[in-house]
Amino acid sequence: MSNSSITHLTIKNRAKPSAFLNGVNHRIVKGESILDFCRRLEQEIPTLCDDARLEAFGSCRVCSVDVALSADGPRKVMASCHSPIGDGMHIFSHSERVEKLRKNILELVISDLPDDYSPQSTPQNSEFDQVVLDSGVSEVRFARGKKSSDNLPEVSRDQSHPYMRMNLDMCIDCNRCVRACDEIQGEQVLSVSGRGFNSRIIKGQDVSFDDSDCVSCGACAQTCPTGAISDVFRDNLTPDIIENIESTRTVCSYCGVGCNLEVLVKDNEIISITAPNDAEVNSGHTCLKGRYAWRFYNHPDRLTSPLVRIDGELQEVSWQYAFDYIADKLSEIKSEFGADAIAGISSARCTNEENYLLQKMIRLNIGTNNIDCCARVCHAPTAYGMQKSFGTGAATNSINDLKQTEFIMLIGANPTAAHPVTGARIKQKVMKGTPLIVIDPVKTELARFANWHIQLRPGTNVAVLNMMAFYIISEGLVDQSFVDNRTEVYQEYSQAILALNIDELAAISGVDKELVKNAAIAYAKASNAMSFHGLGVTEHSQGSRAIMCIADLVMLTGNIGREGVGMNPLRGQNNVQGAADMGCQPHQGAGYFPVDDEKNVNYYREHYNVGENEPWPTQIGYKIPEMFNAALVGDLKALWILGEDVVQTDPNQKHVIASLANLDLLVVQEIFLSETAKMADVVLPGTSFLEKSGTFTNGERRVQRVNAAVKPKDGCKTDGQIIVEMMNALGYSEPEYDAENVLAEIAQVVPFFAGITWQNLGDNGLQWPVSDGGEDTKILHVDTFKRGLGKFHFYQFEESSEIVSHGKQYPFILTTSRNLEHYNAGTMTRRTDNEMIVSEDVLLVSRQDAKAKNIRTNDQVRLFSDRGEIELKAEVSDKVKAGVLFTTFHFPELMINQVTGNVTDKHTKCPEYKVVAVGIELAH
Amino acid sequence: MSKNLTQLARRKGIEDTLFQRLIVSDKSSKSLSDEQRKSAAKEFLIGEAVVKGTASFYDFIDGKNANKKAYICDGSSCLCAGTQTKVLQQLTNQFGEDQVGHVTCLGRCFENSAFQLSGENFSGNDIDNLSEIVKDKTSKSNEEYQVKTSLTTPILTAEIDNVNQYYQQFANLLVQYSADELLVKIADSGLRGRGGAGFPTGFKWQSCRDVISDEKYIVCNADEGDAGAFSDRYLLEQRPHAVLYGMLVAGYLVGASTGVLYIRDEYPAAIDIVEQAIAEFAQLTAIKDVFEFSFKIIRGAGAYICGEETALLRSIEGQRPVVSVRPPFPTQSGLFGCPTVLNNVETFASIHYILSENGQDFKNMGNGKSTGSKLISLDSSFINPGIYEVAMGTSLDSVFELAGGFSKPLKALQIGGPLGGVVPLDKVSQLTVDFESFAQAGFLLGHASIIGIPSHTKMIEYIAHLFEFTAAESCGKCYPCSLGSVRGHELVKNAILGKQLIDRELLNDLLETMQLGSLCALGGGVPLPIQNILQYFDDEIRQYCQSPSSVKEPANV
Repeated sequence: MSNSSITHLTIKNRAKPSAFLNGVNHRIVKGESILDFCRRLEQEIPTLCDDARLEAFGSCRVCSVDVALSADGPRKVMASCHSPIGDGMHIFSHSERVEKLRKNILELVISDLPDDYSPQSTPQNSEFDQVVLDSGVSEVRFARGKKSSDNLPEVSRDQSHPYMRMNLDMCIDCNRCVRACDEIQGEQVLSVSGRGFNSRIIKGQDVSFDDSDCVSCGACAQTCPTGAISDVFRDNLTPDIIENIESTRTVCSYCGVGCNLEVLVKDNEIISITAPNDAEVNSGHTCLKGRYAWRFYNHPDRLTSPLVRIDGELQEVSWQYAFDYIADKLSEIKSEFGADAIAGISSARCTNEENYLLQKMIRLNIGTNNIDCCARVCHAPTAYGMQKSFGTGAATNSINDLKQTEFIMLIGANPTAAHPVTGARIKQKVMKGTPLIVIDPVKTELARFANWHIQLRPGTNVAVLNMMAFYIISEGLVDQSFVDNRTEVYQEYSQAILALNIDELAAISGVDKELVKNAAIAYAKASNAMSFHGLGVTEHSQGSRAIMCIADLVMLTGNIGREGVGMNPLRGQNNVQGAADMGCQPHQGAGYFPVDDEKNVNYYREHYNVGENEPWPTQIGYKIPEMFNAALVGDLKALWILGEDVVQTDPNQKHVIASLANLDLLVVQEIFLSETAKMADVVLPGTSFLEKSGTFTNGERRVQRVNAAVKPKDGCKTDGQIIVEMMNALGYSEPEYDAENVLAEIAQVVPFFAGITWQNLGDNGLQWPVSDGGEDTKILHVDTFKRGLGKFHFYQFEESSEIVSHGKQYPFILTTSRNLEHYNAGTMTRRTDNEMIVSEDVLLVSRQDAKAKNIRTNDQVRLFSDRGEIELKAEVSDKVKAGVLFTTFHFPELMINQVTGNVTDKHTKCPEYKVVAVGIELAH
Repeated sequence: MSKNLTQLARRKGIEDTLFQRLIVSDKSSKSLSDEQRKSAAKEFLIGEAVVKGTASFYDFIDGKNANKKAYICDGSSCLCAGTQTKVLQQLTNQFGEDQVGHVTCLGRCFENSAFQLSGENFSGNDIDNLSEIVKDKTSKSNEEYQVKTSLTTPILTAEIDNVNQYYQQFANLLVQYSADELLVKIADSGLRGRGGAGFPTGFKWQSCRDVISDEKYIVCNADEGDAGAFSDRYLLEQRPHAVLYGMLVAGYLVGASTGVLYIRDEYPAAIDIVEQAIAEFAQLTAIKDVFEFSFKIIRGAGAYICGEETALLRSIEGQRPVVSVRPPFPTQSGLFGCPTVLNNVETFASIHYILSENGQDFKNMGNGKSTGSKLISLDSSFINPGIYEVAMGTSLDSVFELAGGFSKPLKALQIGGPLGGVVPLDKVSQLTVDFESFAQAGFLLGHASIIGIPSHTKMIEYIAHLFEFTAAESCGKCYPCSLGSVRGHELVKNAILGKQLIDRELLNDLLETMQLGSLCALGGGVPLPIQNILQYFDDEIRQYCQSPSSVKEPANV
C-alpha cells in the first residue's frame, strides 16, 4: 500500500508564535499538541484514548479538529492529540464537520458494545459515558452486526485475581490499559492479540490475571475509561454507593516514595483508593500496597482497648487506668534508677508530629536522650555518612530528576519491589536506553535491564566502590575542577585509592574487574549521573563507610548540585526521614543539633521553656541495639515502643526477647497485637495512617500532608493523642493533638522547617529546607556543600566479623530483603488479600548449591546459624550466585531473625542484616 | 508504538529480531511453543504478552493462515479474473479443506490462477500440473509476463550487465562530488516516492541527513501488498542491484551504515534473489574501501498494513505492526528510534540513473511535477499483461495501446491498488501517468497497478470486497477503520442478501468518517474507490439503496 501523505505545515517566522482557537489569537507553548493548546485555554475537547500521562496514541480520533493555515483557508481534519500546534494555525474545535465526525465515531463505538448499553446520567458515569452524553449521540443507525465481544474466551471475563478484574464486553480498544502497563509500570503484562476488529486485550500469553505476571499496580484499572478493566473495589462503585461519597487526599504509609492517595469513604468506611493524577510524586500511579492493601485498617484483629498485664495476662483496662499505671511505674523507675533507665523507640510509620511529640516527651518529661527510631536499623549509616561527606544526611535531589538524568547507578536496592513507583520510573528510563549500573548480590528486576550488573559477594560494597574510584582516577576521568573547588583531602584520598591492589579486591568481592572498570568509566563519562542506594549499602558492618565511598564517587565525577545528578537514598519507611528530622535519635535532637553541645542544650531549653532549675539531658543516649544490651544487663528498666515490632524485625531474635523480658516496664503503642506487643506490660491501641492527620517526609525531603480519611477505630486514639495524654499524665500541660499546631511548633524548633505551615504545604508538599517565605529546595549543595567543602573519606575493605568468626562453620551467606507484595513484618499487608498473592517467604538457592545439596524447588530446607535455626521452602534460582542465599522476612511464623546476628555498623550500630553466615541442608 | 519496545529491540539490533524469530520460514513446521516464547520474552526483556500480541497479528505466524500446506491467492485481480474457484477446488482435493490458506496477492496478476506450495509461487497453467508439482519438490512455475518500455533509454527496466561496473559509478561519484552536491542532484531530479504518496525524495533524505545521530537506517519498503501490483517484485527479482544501489547511496548521503529490506513473505523468490545480490555486493571490495554499508533482509509474515511505513518499522522491531502517529516522522525517529530513510523499491531503483551521466534527463521527463519514469503493472485484462515502463506524463491510452488493449470486456479499472480509484472506461482518455492528472480527476496514481473489472462484475460486490479487504487488513488501532470497515461490509452485505437496503446517508457518513478520521491511508483511502463506484455506477447501485423517502427504524442507544 502507499504511504499516507505527509501534512507539511508552513511555519511562519514571527517573534512570538501564536495560533488561533476558534478565531481568537493565543500564544503557543513549544512542544504542545493542538489538544494541549486547547485544554490550556480551557476549550474542552472530547477524547477516549488520551491519558495525559501516556504518549499520544491517536486511536479514537474523537479529538479531531479542523485546522487551517489562514482564517478562510482550506481546512483539514487532524487528530488534536498527536498533531503539534504550529505558528499561525487556525483551530476550529467545534466545526460542524468535526462535531459530526465525533458523533459518527461514537456511533461506531457504541455499535460494538452490548445491546443494552446506555450512558447513564448518574454520578458513577465512566469517562466514556460522559463523552457519549456530551456528544448527544442518541441512536445507532447500523443494523445489529457482529460484535468483538461475540466470542470472548473465559480469560476476557476474568475474576481469577484477588484484586484485578476484566470484562471485555465493555472494552473500546483504546489501549490505555496496555499503554499504562508499558509506559507507567513497565511490565508489559497487557497487550493485544489479533488484528483489526478482532483485536482483543490479553494478559501474558492470553492467560488469566492470576496466571499472568501482573504486579497488581492497578494502573490499567485506573486509566480504563469504561471499566472493562477494573478492580474489586472500583467494581463495587454502584450508583447508590457513589451517592454522598467523600474523598480524602492523603499519603501512603508503605514506603519512602510518599505516593499521594485519594481515599473514597462512605459512612466512615473506605470504599476504594486511587492515585491522584496531579500528584507530583506519583502522577496517578501507585503500587498494589498503596492502592489495594488497605483492608487491614478495620481488620477484626485490630486492638480496641488499652491492655495492662495483670496477673501475667494482658487485660482490657480504661485509658485512664493505663496512663496512671504507666505514670506510676515511670516515676518509680525514674526516682530509683534515674531518667536514663528509661528509653523510647519511635516509629517511622507515624507522622512527624507524633515523632516530634514522643522525643519531646522522652527528653522533656522523662529527661533522657534515650530515644531512637527505626532509622537505626535502616538508613542511620546514610544519615551519618552523608553528613560526614556533604553535611546533610538526606537525598541531594528529587525523584523527578530522573527526567533529566542520563545515567543511573543503583547500589544495594531493589526499588521495583521496595519502592515500586520509583522503581517503575527507573525502569522506564532504563528501558528507553539510559545506561544503568546495578551493584547487588541479587539479580533484581532492574539488574536484568542493567548494562553492568556487578554481582558482588554480600558485604563487599567498600571493595567494589573503591575499585570504581580506582578506575575513575587511574583513567584520568576525575572532574578536576569540581574536586579542586568544592572538596577537600583529595590528595590523601587518591593516593590511598591508587595504592590499592585491585586484583585482590576483585577476588574478595567475586567480581570481574573489567566489568567494574567499564562501569566506572561509563559512570565517570556520563554528563549527568544519579545514584540511588538502599539498605543493601547501609545494613553492613561497613555501612557508613560504604555511604562515604559512594559520596566519594559522586564528588570525583562532580555529580552533585544540579538537576539529574546526586546521591539519593531510597528511604525504606514512609517517614523514616521525618523520624530522624524530628530528633528521634539519641545523639541529635529535633533539627539534628548534637545533644551534647552546650549551645544546643541552651537552644532546646529555650524552645521548650525549660526552667533554669529544671533538668535537661545532655548525654548522648542509647541507640536501639544498646537499649537491648542495657536491658539485658539491667541498666535499662523501661521501654516505650511506638509502632515497631522489634521482636520480629530486629536481628538476633533470642537476644531481643531476652532483653525485653528483663524490663520492668514495656509499653507498646500498636494497632495489632504484634510479637512485641505480646511481651508488653501495657499495650495502647493506636491508629493507622488512614485514621490520623499530620505530615510525612518522603525520601526526597518532601513534607506532605496526611489527612485522616476515617475516624479512629472505636476504642483507639491517634498515636499523637496517646502521647499527649501521657505527657499530661506525667504532669506536663500539652494541648490536645492537633497536627497543624504541632507542625507550627516544629517550625519554631527545626530550622529547615521554618517556612512550613499546614496551609502552604498544599497538596504536593514542600521539600526541606523551606525558608521563611515558604520557598522549598529541590536540590541540595548547589553552590557549596552544607559543610562547606565536600570531604573525601578513604576506608579499606574489612571483612565482617560475622564472616571472620562464623564463615568457616557456616559457609553460606544469607542476605534478606523485601518483596513487592508485603511490607516489613507484614503486620498490615498480611491482613489484606496481598496474602493471597504471596503467602510465604521462600529461600532462593543457586543452581550449583542446589545441586550440591540435592535441593529442589519447593523442598523444605533447614537454615541455621550460630544464633538459631529455621525451616523454610527453597526455590532454585538464577537470581543468586553460588554460596549466596536470599529470602524475604515478612512472615512471623518463620522468624528469620532467629538466625541473623549481632554485628552492627561501626559508626551507627545499624545491624548487619545483609550478611549472615549460615548453613543449609534439606530438612527431614 | 511503544518507545520502550523500540529501544529494547534496539539493544538486540537488526541481526536478532523477535519478529524474525517468530517466523517459521518453512511453513510446514510448528511455530514456537508457549515455553519458547516465554524464554524469548525473558531474553528480549519484554512481556510475554508482547510476544503473543505480535505473533497473533500476522496471518502466517499465529493467524488462521499459519502453517498451511497450500495457499490460494484471493487478490482483486485473481478474483476479477474468476480463476480461483477452479484453483481452490484443485487444492482442496489435493490437501483437504483445512490445509488451504489464503494470501492476498502473490503478484501473479498477469496470468492469475495463483497459489503457493512449500514456499514456491505458481500461476497460469501450473494448476493443471498440480499433482506433478506436488510430486516433484523442485518444480518451478512457468510464469511469463511482458516487460516493455516506451523509453529509448530505459531507466528501471535497463539490464545490469556488469555488477562491478554498475557499482563503480558510486566510487566515482564519491571522488567527483560532495555529499551535498549529490543530494542536490537527487532533489533536482524531482524524484518523488513511488510507493504512492509521491513525497519528494531529496527532501526526505535531506531531512534525515540534517538529524545528528551516530545510528541511522535505510529501509526499503518491499512489502508490495497492493493487489494488482507486481512492479516491485519485478525489480527485486530482476534488478536487485538497482534497489541495493539506491539504498547504498541513501546510506552514504544521510550517514547510515545499514540497509534493511522488508520483503513480503508472499515473494519467496524475491527474498532468495536479493539475498544472493547482497552476497554479491559484499564481495565488492572497491565499494567497501570507500564506504562501509551492509544489508539485512527482514521477511514479512502476511500483513498488508506493514506496507504503511510506521507499521513496517514496528514490525521489524517486533512490536505489533499497528500504525504510529506522526510526528515524529521516520527521518527523525524511525527504526529503533533512529533517523531512518524509508522508501519504496522503485524509488531506490531510480537513483542509479539519476546519478548517471544522463541523469539530468530524468527531470525532463514528465510534467515538471511528476518526473522520470514509472513502472505500471497490467493484469490479465490486457492482451499483453506485464510491466511497462513509461515516462511520467504518458497518456494512459498509449500505455494500453502498448499492451495491445483489453483482453476481455471491462467496465472499469481499479488503478493504484485497493485504495486507488475505480476508473470507468470513459474516463481513461483524460488520464496521463502522473500524480497530478489522477488527483485532478478524482482518482489516485498510487503504485500504478491496473486491474480490469470485467463487465459482468457486480459493482456492489466490488464494494463489499473493498470493505472486506479493509476489515481483514485493518491493524485495528483507529476506530473509523477497524469498526467502520466491518460496519460498511455488513451494510453492503445486508443489501446484497436482501436483508436491508442501504441507507445512503449512513453510508455517506461512514465513508466521510473513515476518510476524515482514519489514522492512515488504509481506512482513509478505501472510501475513494467506493465513492467512485457510487458516483459512476449509480445505475447499478441504486437498487440496493433505500429511496430517500423510505422510513428507517433506528435502533436505540
